[in-house]
Amino acid sequence: MSRFKSIVLLMVIASLALAACSSAAATEAAAPAAEEAAPAEEAAAPAAEEMTAYTYADMTLCYPQLGAESDWRTANTASIKQTAEELGVTLIFSDAQQKQENQISAVRACIQQGVDVIALPPVVEDGWDAVLTEAKDAGIPVIIVDRSVSADSSLYAAHIGSDMFLEGQRAAEEMNKLLPDGGNILELSGTVGSGAATGRAEGFRDALNANITILDSQTGNFTRAEAIPVMEAFLKKYAGQVDGVFIHNDDMAIGAVEAIKAAGIEPGELKIVSVDGTRGGFQAMIDGWIQADVECNPLLGPQVMEMGLKLMNGEAVDPETLTNETVYYPEEAEELLPTRQY
Amino acid sequence: MQKIKSFLLKNGPLLATVAIFILVYAIGAQLYPTMKKPQVFFNLFINNGSLLIISIGMTMTVIMGGIDLSVGAMIALTSVASAALLQKNADPVFVMVLMLLMGTALGFVMGCIIHYLKVEAFVVTLMGQFFARGMAYVINESSITIKNEFYNYLALTKINLPFFEKAYVYIPTLAGIVLLIFTFILLSSTRFGRTVYAIGNNEQSALLMGLPVARTKLIVYSFSGFCSALAGIVFSISLLSGYGGYGQSMEMDAIASVVIGGTALTGGTGTVLGTLFGVLINGIIVSILQFNGTLTSWWTRIGVGALTLIFIGIQSLFYVKKKD
Amino acid sequence: MKNNISPFTKFRQSRIFWPLVALLLIFIFDGIYAPGFFKLGILDGHLYGNLIDVINNGAPLVLVAIGMTMVIATGGVDLSVGAVIAISAAMGAVLINPAFGNELISNDILTQNVSRTPLGLIVLANLAAGTACGLWNGFLVSRAKIQPMVATLILMVAGRGIAQLITNGQIMTIYYTPYFFFGNGYILGLPVAVYIVLAVLGLAWLLVRKTSIGLFVESVGINAESTYYSGISEKNVKLLAYTFCGFCSAIAGLILSSYVHSADANNIGLNYELDGILSVVIGGTLMAGGRFSLLASVIGALVIRTFTITMYTVGIPANALLAAKAVLVLIVILLYSEQAHKIINAVFERKGRSKDAKN
Repeated sequence: MSRFKSIVLLMVIASLALAACSSAAATEAAAPAAEEAAPAEEAAAPAAEEMTAYTYADMTLCYPQLGAESDWRTANTASIKQTAEELGVTLIFSDAQQKQENQISAVRACIQQGVDVIALPPVVEDGWDAVLTEAKDAGIPVIIVDRSVSADSSLYAAHIGSDMFLEGQRAAEEMNKLLPDGGNILELSGTVGSGAATGRAEGFRDALNANITILDSQTGNFTRAEAIPVMEAFLKKYAGQVDGVFIHNDDMAIGAVEAIKAAGIEPGELKIVSVDGTRGGFQAMIDGWIQADVECNPLLGPQVMEMGLKLMNGEAVDPETLTNETVYYPEEAEELLPTRQY
Repeated sequence: MQKIKSFLLKNGPLLATVAIFILVYAIGAQLYPTMKKPQVFFNLFINNGSLLIISIGMTMTVIMGGIDLSVGAMIALTSVASAALLQKNADPVFVMVLMLLMGTALGFVMGCIIHYLKVEAFVVTLMGQFFARGMAYVINESSITIKNEFYNYLALTKINLPFFEKAYVYIPTLAGIVLLIFTFILLSSTRFGRTVYAIGNNEQSALLMGLPVARTKLIVYSFSGFCSALAGIVFSISLLSGYGGYGQSMEMDAIASVVIGGTALTGGTGTVLGTLFGVLINGIIVSILQFNGTLTSWWTRIGVGALTLIFIGIQSLFYVKKKD
Repeated sequence: MKNNISPFTKFRQSRIFWPLVALLLIFIFDGIYAPGFFKLGILDGHLYGNLIDVINNGAPLVLVAIGMTMVIATGGVDLSVGAVIAISAAMGAVLINPAFGNELISNDILTQNVSRTPLGLIVLANLAAGTACGLWNGFLVSRAKIQPMVATLILMVAGRGIAQLITNGQIMTIYYTPYFFFGNGYILGLPVAVYIVLAVLGLAWLLVRKTSIGLFVESVGINAESTYYSGISEKNVKLLAYTFCGFCSAIAGLILSSYVHSADANNIGLNYELDGILSVVIGGTLMAGGRFSLLASVIGALVIRTFTITMYTVGIPANALLAAKAVLVLIVILLYSEQAHKIINAVFERKGRSKDAKN
């Protein structure tokens, strides 16, 4: 509520200011032209001489977040905001509500504002050519975060993210260990067509032992609400035939566990491998439901800011950076849970 | 004096919409000086190109007293279908024509069901929505990249605007403007346009007056289908891909824009010019939030909701006065 | 002998005939393609099986359908039910645990099985929030004279924003076990949600059939103006209908959030407005208002839910599910269109006549 009041107050002040400084407007109008030229200078200066090393306090970072569809995403948002606050980076943050058109328009707004760096977590791989070209023309480096894009790699500076294919492979290795004698498993996949779902599914199949059969696969859209009915229907259809389940994220795993509980199955009877490593997932490991959780780290704030600063200072950056990720097991879950931040 | 008064009453909702747009823009520009760049204004057209096109189709449907909920899903279907065809090396112009025909045909079929089987437009177009989105996913469940020379050319060629320094739009952006002018003339100064308004006011009396009700209704729904196919083409060009998840709940954005633009959902009144400003207002609110960069996204939704309410308030104020 | 209508004809002309036919068609399909569909077992002292799932996780939709029926009968529509579900769920989640905004979680408060607020108060707050939303809709429609579609569109757009505001943009996970009772609990072997639905249905039935409210609702839907002259307060009837719909959605939000153990402002109750309207349409209530049947709408909601569960069971890929749903709606539309009715009735009557001739 206080936020709303402050907006109203801002608007009132703004309209007063509008009346007061009509003369000032003329000078301000000239300002954007100067600002526009600035990025080009910034890009050129460090190359010429290391005189002006920028610090975090100079940086304006634009982060057009995709939305808030899962715990992973909210943790990612929190990480970016917290890191920016700690380092003193000016953050321009927006939320696209899972719509690509909103994300694109947010990038355009950032370009017009003349930010120093844009960090973009793309909703899907396609469709970024035009807006990335605009950013390049404006001299603003773009860091692709999390998922990758299909656009030409000359259009962006670097990619920081997880290798979804590798996560799938890791999950398959865990499943191979859990079911050494083979068996039948089910798959609860993420949003149809999303890079994470496709990558994890392909990686999983790539590394899965031949004696393990995937009986069925259905999407749960990465959400709990949809995972429960799908799992319920699965359990009735394949009652007694299933040995394990591969689930594409922890949110769906938590939902699926509810369905499994309701079916009267004891913890550990079904071997579950999930991806993410959220607190909910850890809790489920402690309770014995999940046997292995492949980490997909959302705490990308520090990495993104560090790379952004390097780009501003004209330093060379690794065009393809993978986040540090591991696999968690129930034995260590209890010990690690208090240290989990998401 | 009387003339001015009647002009104000006649165009009240439209003028209010325009005034609010200018006011919101001015406040935004004052708060965030970079918003004064002309390109920010033109970005509104670039970003909302597809929304403008479906909103134009929606305006005509709503003026006639109908509704079309299938437009968002039609965008998805068109984008996927054209991407899939282009992947198989189909001729781009042929693909575009085919898509426009498909959209028009689907609109026509829905119009037929609505008119001849006497089913609610709301229900029929809802079915159309499920069908189109389902078919889009059936064609291909993940997104398809478009790697066609012609599409690339259309997507990446900037048209520099005269009189403004460093201001540009893309080629597909112009489609909405052309369509807007065409529809404006069609509605305001043709017999067909008057029939549309007459049906929206009272279908029974339009029928009794001997107006071609059936034909007009079918044309309007076909036109809406055509618009959503065109919007789909624009969408697929600007994103250079096709995906079944595109255009999610865009029909609601379109309806909100139409209402904000001063068209009453009961039919019979409204202009496409108002709709243009409805779309722009929608866009400028989003822009302000993006420029601010600290406001959280839920304020967009609450803001659009509140604005819709205000506009309806203004509208009903004018209509009440008119009746007196 | 003149009025000798056979029980079958009477049943065929009743409102629940067509919805039942649709349900039966899906069941026959299940019988053929998913033999295990009807298997009912007992597990931990409660019934267990696909059919139980249909009524358990179909309960929120049934509730929405009941509320929506009342609104549509008055000639209106409520697009905000999904948003109201989200608001109600958000209210519950926040009262159990505070939302910490954009901070990373660094303490155990959020995952503890405790609540800050007594359960009774949480339920009351859920219901109050939803009912208030309904009241708001009703006020806009009946007093401010805004068309129902626009009036409820406002809350539909803003509602999820309000829900996000309540939860501070977080997906709130609920760890407080007593709250799970509504969505996952069982009484005498049947899910708690079923009893809740029955209670609401009973209340609605008493309201519309044992008082004159039902008649008022229908008459408002058929002709609001003449109702006005007959001395019925059209305004209050509409206000009541929308408030009731908000109340129903609030209960749906309570059950749903309890069932999925979380309140996700973006996704909970997504598309419930469309499914709710569809349920009512399948139940044979005209979108233009007028005569309605609560029972038929309930069956309509079950048709949609059974259909979805069937799709999961048969293993139809999710992408084809939407198209399949469209086909279902198309069939329903055809079943209800006057033209199709004429044809079907003609066929039945001819059969009847030939039977008479034989005798």
